[in-house]
Amino acid sequence: MEVEPQICCAQFFQPDQSAICTSLRAMSAAEFDLENPTEEHRMLRAMVRDFAKTVVEPQADEHDRSGTLNVELLRRLGELGLLGVTVPAEDGGAGMDALAAVLVHHELSKADPGFCLAYLAHAMLFVNNLYYAANAEQRQKYLPKVLTGEHVGAMGMTEPSSGTDVLGMRTVARREGNHFVLKGHKALITNAVDAHVFLVYAKVDDKITTFVLERTMPGLSTDGPTKKMGMRASTMGEVIFDNVIVPEENVLGQVGGGIRNMMRNLEIERLTLAAMSLGIADRCMEIMTTYASERQSFGKPISEHGQIQRYIGESYAKTEAARALIYSVARKTGPTFRNRLGTDASKLFAAPVGKEVADNAMQVLGGWGYCDEYKVERFLRDAKLLEIGGGTLESHQKNITKELMRSGAA
Amino acid sequence: MKILVPLKRVADPDNANKVKIPASGATIETTGLEWKPNPFDEYALEAALRLTEDGKAPKVRAGEVVVVTFGPKETETTLRAALATGADRAIRVDAADDKLDGHLVARALKALVEREKPDLVLMGKQAVDGDSNQVGQILAEQLDYPMATFAATMKEEAGGLLVGREVDGGVITLRVKFPAVVTVDLRIVAPTSVYSMKTAPAFKYNDGVRFAALPAIMAAKKKPLAEVKLADLAADQGLRVTYHGFQAPPARKAGIKVKDVTDLVNRLKNEAKAL
Ligand SMILES: Cc1cc2nc3c(=O)[nH]c(=O)nc-3n(C[C@H](O)[C@H](O)[C@H](O)COP(=O)(O)OP(=O)(O)OC[C@H]3O[C@@H](n4cnc5c(N)ncnc54)[C@H](O)[C@@H]3O)c2cc1C
Repeated sequence: MEVEPQICCAQFFQPDQSAICTSLRAMSAAEFDLENPTEEHRMLRAMVRDFAKTVVEPQADEHDRSGTLNVELLRRLGELGLLGVTVPAEDGGAGMDALAAVLVHHELSKADPGFCLAYLAHAMLFVNNLYYAANAEQRQKYLPKVLTGEHVGAMGMTEPSSGTDVLGMRTVARREGNHFVLKGHKALITNAVDAHVFLVYAKVDDKITTFVLERTMPGLSTDGPTKKMGMRASTMGEVIFDNVIVPEENVLGQVGGGIRNMMRNLEIERLTLAAMSLGIADRCMEIMTTYASERQSFGKPISEHGQIQRYIGESYAKTEAARALIYSVARKTGPTFRNRLGTDASKLFAAPVGKEVADNAMQVLGGWGYCDEYKVERFLRDAKLLEIGGGTLESHQKNITKELMRSGAA
Repeated sequence: MKILVPLKRVADPDNANKVKIPASGATIETTGLEWKPNPFDEYALEAALRLTEDGKAPKVRAGEVVVVTFGPKETETTLRAALATGADRAIRVDAADDKLDGHLVARALKALVEREKPDLVLMGKQAVDGDSNQVGQILAEQLDYPMATFAATMKEEAGGLLVGREVDGGVITLRVKFPAVVTVDLRIVAPTSVYSMKTAPAFKYNDGVRFAALPAIMAAKKKPLAEVKLADLAADQGLRVTYHGFQAPPARKAGIKVKDVTDLVNRLKNEAKAL
């Protein structure tokens, strides 16, 4: 809510107080920092930005080309305390909020979205999900090794024949005495090839239930890596359960409580995925503005051509709109205050922005953008995934409408 | 070992082109600048942390690292970042940036050293804004302490340090006894540059300065940060250096293409007079 300062001063204050009024306004404009609500957020951002630039960026192209996960780098994130960003301090995490998780994904994606996706699958899909669904013994058993990165985590929801239609999953868990027998098949699972531990959804008597599984359990195997267009610094593959015997202590939450866990975690997933699109957009903005000021055609910098200005101007406006949406939603999302609409809206809006800005950057760079030197071709390939993974654009449209209809806001 | 590390914030060296000089040329426009710790001071802090730990267990500090800066309230950001990186305690000497020069900072640091009694004052060889390269030397002179400048390597021994300095044609090794003043060069943060007596000789650090881990960022707020008045440290606040004007460097001229090696040698000899 903005009040015109001159009017406010003239109408409500004596003239000698107008200086105070103006200085208050100047202060709040300077001090309101949407992306960094606290000093800790600001310091965390500075640290991740430095780390992304000096350590993550130099290895990004190599892992994009080889299609491999840099496990050592993931472990360095563990040393920095980033694998448990949202886990409370008493359980070995950093005890920070959704906005902190958002900023880490935002900054990492400016350098390497592919690696960031593997981080997301580990820290959000596995660690955060496990923490909130697990009891004290389960936390004690599984958290320490995933917080350091000694163990890599993955989450299996999608199956070969069911993605958006989650309830259509076919993996089943049959109770036998004090254990369950899991049978089924997950596909398109990030980190599947590298993971030691898996958070898996399966149906018990037709009710979706969450399990934590270990690679060493007999009958569990993985296949892959599945080759893909982008996000190649993370691996993806299938997880196959051939009558895997799972002790009942490995049920996370209630039998039949899987949907609740899934829905709770989906919010932070979507928000951090949206933050990845923002990171891609920010980086591509930087690449295209630098290039447009240096590249000459017809005797002047290409930034002086109106058509180039349209690419730059529109990309900027959309990037800023995505930033405003994501960070304001992040301030209003947490384990105790849910924000289904906001998080769906963030990803629905930001994913196409990331892709469009990367595409615009490539257009501004012309043939050089299509080559790998300026990196935008990698960012464009990576950007597309955010319109599909963690929920397709269509699923966000569907969810938002359903939610609005339900709440009667329409 | 107790180490005092003075830190200065400078305009982000990666965005040097954002530094603006108003038409009057009387000052440097500081509004809107992004501040970063002076890189050489960050290297000094990294070296101080390495000297007070076993490299393979860097969370445990053997001794104390105290950081100090001179400046207004906002400079506490620089100190908090240092605390998050591993320093134990911070001191801000309240002062206005434009009321300081190297000699005054050194005089005030002398008084602080007499209070704090560190074994070692470890500092950057220079700040990348003014590039004066003098505070360490003036401080050592005022304290009458042994001094080593431009340290590229440091090895802790009983009661002192072996300091390697790179010079033309080789390395000079100095043995300094505590208490001492040492200023560091950028090679001090290479993987095998600094060894405390606890760190195994085969241990290698990551190249560069360490990153502040997230739990340490969260804990930094709880570490002590004290404010000291400049007047308590330096009765005489007179400046020996005053600035008379600022000028942006001239825009670089376009380069030229030389035909061949003979042409290059000719031009170097006759035009550039470099040969
Ligand atoms: C790189 C990558 C990493 C991934 N990582 C993981 C992971 O770690 N864990 C995991 O569980 N999954 C993961 N996935 C899977 C991802 O979440 C799914 O791909 C996504 O949910 C879509 O499911 P689907 O591919 O089966 O498409 P489908 O659901 O078959 O959809 C096909 C098309 O139909 C549309 N559609 C479907 N239903 C409707 C409807 N009701 N109304 C309108 N349109 C509809 C979709 O929007 C889409 O356009 C990953 C995918 C990729 C590509």
